[in-house]
Order: sequence, then structure tokens, then C-alpha cells
Amino acid sequence: MNSVLLMNGLIGGLVFGAIYALIGAGLNVIMGVLRVVNFAHGEFILIGSFMAYAMLTMLGVNPLYALPVVAVVMYVGGMLAYYVLIPGLARSDDPETSSFLLMFGVSLMIISVLTWIFEADIRPVNFSFNPINVVLFSIPDAYGPNRDGVVLIPTARLVALGINIVIIAAMTWFLYMTLPGKALRGAIMNRDAIQIVGINVHRLSAAAFGLATGLAGITGVVLTLVIPSVDPNGGADLTLFGFIVIVLGGLGHPVGALAAGVLFGIVEQLSNVVLPQAAAQMVGFIVLVAVVMLKPEGLFGKRQSR
Amino acid sequence: MSWTSDPILEVIGLTKRFGGLVAVNAVSLEVGRGTIVGLIGINGAGKTTLMNCINGIYKSDEGGVTLDGKDLTGRTPHEIALAGVGRTFQIPRTFHRLSLIDNLMIPMLRSKQSDDELIARAERGLERVNLYELRANHGEELSGGQEKLLELARVMMLNPALVLLDEPFAGVNPTLCRLMIEQILAMRSEGTSFLLVSHDLTSIYRLSDWIYVLNQGEIIAQGGVEAVRNDPAVVEAYLGG
Repeated sequence: MNSVLLMNGLIGGLVFGAIYALIGAGLNVIMGVLRVVNFAHGEFILIGSFMAYAMLTMLGVNPLYALPVVAVVMYVGGMLAYYVLIPGLARSDDPETSSFLLMFGVSLMIISVLTWIFEADIRPVNFSFNPINVVLFSIPDAYGPNRDGVVLIPTARLVALGINIVIIAAMTWFLYMTLPGKALRGAIMNRDAIQIVGINVHRLSAAAFGLATGLAGITGVVLTLVIPSVDPNGGADLTLFGFIVIVLGGLGHPVGALAAGVLFGIVEQLSNVVLPQAAAQMVGFIVLVAVVMLKPEGLFGKRQSR
Repeated sequence: MSWTSDPILEVIGLTKRFGGLVAVNAVSLEVGRGTIVGLIGINGAGKTTLMNCINGIYKSDEGGVTLDGKDLTGRTPHEIALAGVGRTFQIPRTFHRLSLIDNLMIPMLRSKQSDDELIARAERGLERVNLYELRANHGEELSGGQEKLLELARVMMLNPALVLLDEPFAGVNPTLCRLMIEQILAMRSEGTSFLLVSHDLTSIYRLSDWIYVLNQGEIIAQGGVEAVRNDPAVVEAYLGG
């Protein structure tokens, strides 16, 4: 096995894994706090991507500058969407199934609106960094005597990885080190208990929904750096990756989702290097099936004993 | 006819139906300021449903609830908690993957105090229920009895005027039970009032200033300990005809 290819696979795995981690974390926050199966999470990510695309093509705004704007707009929009969409679910006989259908409808609506505005074509995001690639390190004699190998990464992907690492670190800090973050985790653990200690669960849920849509927006912008194109029909795959990550990491376990996302990304990308492409696509899913069978609570979840 | 001249809690004609089932039927009761009021009844009598109506988990169909004269009817659980009604559950509802300190800090989310002051308050709360040594442990590492003590300590953080205790002694070993009773009495001496649901009649008789007996959703008897203990309707309800 060529060590240059292996290192490239590993680095690619980190880049994609960090994106999967963000997708899974956002989905997990909504599912944990609100008990809402957000089938539209991938389309929320697309909104972020298309906002970055529109700001670049219409206003010439660098996606890096678009990032905070998209995050804030998506956070506020998510909070407002919560009050429109979610409280009515409580009147349903089966809120979780209803939430699935509701959010599936929202996903179709978002696809229709994006297709209406931007049309169905896949559009390139014409943005590049200078230099285009960054050499990370060289591996001596990788291709034989005196033929060194060079491991490099596109600058855009390096920037995307850096942004993701900062966001993941910030989110972990918020959830584990601050009182509002602990309250959010408390709501995942026991929604009734949160109410009886005097916390407005609707306000907390709206903040959680806003946080998740804000994260989706950030993911969307970062995604345009890694894959510089936007497609109104690309949301379903993203949602699927999100569900894979939360099954792997453990439901209601946001940091578990982060770790599982990175793990899934590395397994997927390394498989692409060492296996034929058709076989490689299966490996991530084989890991998923194995985890579901052997540790159904997820790699980082704990089995419910009572 | 009121048994107390200074009620902190008044429940007036409260009714809760689930479809055709009347779980609580026109119940009126009072808790005097600084008193412990027992609420007894066999399984299915409607005790927990009544508590759930008082603290807003269920919306009552008829009747109302006031705390210190303020109407709580129709308000949400968090509003009722902030108004001064604390609540514990038969199966404790703690945050099992947060440390004990964090469990006690969550109720103080809106507090303007510094983190150091909040931590000090939480530590004092844990000391009161002998859980200080376990302060860094997670809720899931506690025994069932310790979890009930943690829940009581968490209730104290909001300085409630009234606490609804649902089966606080069920499944708790005698040592922790004594500690629980000590804390309840200490809180009462500090001015807190209690509505206490328990199957443990010994504790109810020992602690209560006044007792209501609920049967099939209706109050069938009330009075002081001796009066209730000897009431034929109570004996009939508990032991059957």
C-alpha cells in the first residue's frame, strides 16, 4: 500500500468526518431535546450552501465572510421556524412519527423553493484560495529510492477542516462547560425535570432548534469549500449521513455524534484508498450494521438500565 | 370549612378527566403555611394526578389552584415552579449524566449570581443531604434513595414556598429515610410547607399536621392524625368491606 495514498485518505477522512460530525451533532440536538426526527436537516444545510453561493455570485462575498452571516440568519430563522412548526406536534397522538412526516414535508418544500429560485442544475461555486494546495509534508522514498512522495491538501479543505475543528471545540465547550449547555443536555436527559426546575422548555427548545439550524448553515458553507458546487437535490444524502452518525455515536449524545462522524469519515475515505470503489462504499455501512447489532445504544451511548 | 387560618395552597373544586374516567373529582384541599399535609389513598386513588394538576403537568378540566392567593390555574410547570411550588417524583427525575453539582445548578440558570456563588450554594445543598462527597459523580451512579435525596436538594435550590413530595420514602433504606425526614422537618422549620403523598402510613402519621384521604378521585375524609386513623371510611377504603 502506498503510504502517500494512505495519508491522503486519512486526511480526506478527517475533512469529511468533521463535516459528518457537524451534521450529526445538529441532528442529535434536535432529536434529543425536541424528540423531533428532522428529516429536513440536509435541506437546512443546503440553505446554508445556497446562501453562500448567492452571496458569492451576486455580491462577491467570500464564503469565509458569509459564514457568520449565514450562521446568525439560520439561528434566528431556526428559532422562528420552531414556533411555527413544532409546538403543534404536541397535539398529535404520536408526535415523533408526526414530526418525521412534518419535517419530510418541510424538506420537499425547501427543495421546491431552491429549485424555483436557482433551478435544478448543479452549480459550481467559483471560489479558490491562493495557493490552491498546501503541502503538508513529504514522505522520503515513497515511490522507490530517491522518489519522495508529497502529501498535500487543497487549501479550501484545510480551511474547512480548521473551521470545523473550531466549531466542534466551541460546541463541546458550550455543552459541557457552560450552564446553558448543561441545561440543554439536561433537557435531552429528562424533559420533565427541566420544566419542574423552572426552565421554560419552549424557549430552550427554540434555542436548540436555532442552534441546530445555525450549525446546519455553517455546515452548508463549509461544504461549499470542500465540494465547490451546490445542488438543490443533495439534501437527502446529507440527512442520511446525519442519521448514520447519530446511530453510531448514540442518540442524545452530541459529542458522541462528533466522534462518530470523524470515525465514519475516516473509515469511508480509507476504504476508498485500499478497496475497489464499489466495495469501499459498503464499508461504512458494514460498520454501521455491526454497531447496531453489537452495541445498539451507539459507540458512546449508555445502555438504559431503568 | 377550612382547617387552617393561613393557607399557602388552596385547591378549589379541581377535576381532571381522562376520556370517560374521572381521575380527580371536584377535590378541594388546603395546605397551611409551614405545615405538612398528608395525602393518602390506595393505588389509583388519584394522588399523583392531583399533584400533576397542582404543578401544571396536567391541565385540570375544572377548578383552580392558588398559591399564597396567586392564581396558578392553567400556568405551565416552569411558571408554577418559579412561583414557588417544588416537586419530587415517585421515580426520581434527575439528570443522570450530569454531576450532582450540575444537577443542583440547573435550577439556578436564570440566577444573576456568579458561578462561584452558585457552586457554593449547590455544595451547601449537597452537604444537607449527605451527598457532598459524591458531588463530582453523575446522577446515574446514585442509589434510588440517594437520587430521591438529590431531587429534594434540587428542589431546595429554588427556595420554594410549597413542596409536593410524591412517595419520598418508597424504596429508600431506613438510614436515608431518617435523613429525608430530618431534611423535611428542617425545611418546615425554615417556613416551607409540604403536601406529602405516601403509602408509608407510619411516616404520614408521624409527620403530618393534617391528612386528606383520597378514594376514587374524591376526598372521603380529612382531619388530624388520630381522627383519620380511626375514621371508619378510611378503614373501609384501605382494608375493604
